Amino acid sequence: MESGLLSSVKGEEAVREQAATEAAGAQPVMETAMGAAETTAAEPATELPAAKRTAPPGRRARSAGEAAGRVVLPLAAGALFIAMWELKVFHRLLNLQAYQLPLPSAIVRAMRDNFDILLSYAGYTLTEAILGMAIGSAVGFVVALAATAWPGWGAGSLFFAASLNAVPIVALAPIMNLWFGSGMGSRVAIVAITTMAAMAINAHKGMNMADPLALDLMRSYAARKRQVFRYVRVAGSLPYVFTALKINTTAGMIGAIVGEFFISSRGLGYLLSNSIKVAKMPLGWSCIVMAAIAGVLFYLIVERLEKVFIRWHPSRRT
Amino acid sequence: MKAQGRQVPVLVWGAALLMLWEAVSWFLLEWAEVPMAQSKLPYIHKVLATFGTYGGVLAAESRITFANAAGGFFLGAAAGALLAVLMSASKWAERLAFPYAVASQMIPILGLAPIVFGIVRDEEAARMLIAAYITFFPVALNMLRGLKSVSPAALELMRACAASPWSVYWKLRFPASLPGLFSGLKIAAPLAVTGAILVELMGASRGIGVMMLRNLYYGPSHVYMFWSTVIVGALLGIASYAIVSGLERIAAPWQPEFRTKGGGR
Repeated sequence: MESGLLSSVKGEEAVREQAATEAAGAQPVMETAMGAAETTAAEPATELPAAKRTAPPGRRARSAGEAAGRVVLPLAAGALFIAMWELKVFHRLLNLQAYQLPLPSAIVRAMRDNFDILLSYAGYTLTEAILGMAIGSAVGFVVALAATAWPGWGAGSLFFAASLNAVPIVALAPIMNLWFGSGMGSRVAIVAITTMAAMAINAHKGMNMADPLALDLMRSYAARKRQVFRYVRVAGSLPYVFTALKINTTAGMIGAIVGEFFISSRGLGYLLSNSIKVAKMPLGWSCIVMAAIAGVLFYLIVERLEKVFIRWHPSRRT
Repeated sequence: MKAQGRQVPVLVWGAALLMLWEAVSWFLLEWAEVPMAQSKLPYIHKVLATFGTYGGVLAAESRITFANAAGGFFLGAAAGALLAVLMSASKWAERLAFPYAVASQMIPILGLAPIVFGIVRDEEAARMLIAAYITFFPVALNMLRGLKSVSPAALELMRACAASPWSVYWKLRFPASLPGLFSGLKIAAPLAVTGAILVELMGASRGIGVMMLRNLYYGPSHVYMFWSTVIVGALLGIASYAIVSGLERIAAPWQPEFRTKGGGR
């Protein structure tokens, strides 16, 4: 009995570690991007540098230097890049004119001049992305639940969800326009369709990663099917669900913006394609900058939520 | 036998979906009398008939799109793999490029399509560039993760055998990176097709996206043709994914999900 329990715990650990390495793929990565230095804790154990870092005695001083290198080096490179851009190095190299590739100063000016409209359009696009993602992810999760509950037939539906994933968004845009009109609805629908598949596939994977021993344990407690789902499968799938949500933030922004290219009278995508058409390149670029900022914010919010919701998970413990 | 058992539900689902489509289309047209019913959901058999009639044209145009997307895809994949190797070999390169590669994952890249098209007026080059750009970062990030997934014990063994850096890469790191590389490629392949079609919609002269746009503008009389192009676009995306998955099976057949028995997940 005791050894059975022990091995169950071990098995669980292995599964979680696997989940952790997958989830961690995006995790430590973000922290480097934000300039934080303590990536060591969250990194999967399989990575080589982690083993190296534990060894030397004068580690503290070195890691401080390393942290500076981590932050300063990319920032310096970015600053150099922008400076070269501003000084028209790229223009000379690629034989471009300033109206083709606007200078950073012009982009900043365009952003300042149109700040109000950019902000309200960014809000509009972000609303579309969030609404669509919420609907799409919810549907995807339900599909995954169904596919797990009835494996034989449900898995078939998963195949179609996966093939939806491969459908180009641009092909969806005109059809959704016909179905839902040119308002917000059509973009929400586009985003919902593009985000559904990733959630269905990831959540299904997470639910089926459940440790067989944990399932056996639930069985020996005479748990009902619903309880098994609630306590083992759904709870265990949460890291995968959040991985899918993080994928979906980007996909959602792309879906919303690309949808607005063709059918819209508002939003960042609309302003972007319109200002390109009338050769207002700086304004177009400022839309991209705005979209990037909105995308990063959206991602960070989801990541924050992830930290709150699965704090209990072994992959999050420090 | 087992494979057959798995395919039956898929086939039944497919048939059911097609029947549902046909029924809804009929309902919209004959019962609800929704305006532009056929544009919203045309009879699937008529779309398939159009497929038969104009199959040659559709194939020719989609070949152009696919060739451009594939060209860009290979360029981007090669560049991404190169960056991944660089980042795994040199700490400096990793520190320099990694944050940007990650940030680029959070940015709606396809939004760049009109801008790239504005800079590079040549439509073929623009299509390839967008496809390459979209492919570049997922491949670089995922392959880097693969290159780093080598077990420390194996590395120590290679060190103990005084293996040259070249043979460490060739015998240990490259094989270990293949699953990561392919998961990056699988993310990127449909996106590359999407990017190519998007550039065509922005204004090219040939390709499946151009046909899509033209038939959309011609209105209700070209509904079936429009839907055919949409389906072709979807098929191109699915085909690209299927091709990469097939290659993965050949190149890295040892992965757990390919096992038919034993080993668990």
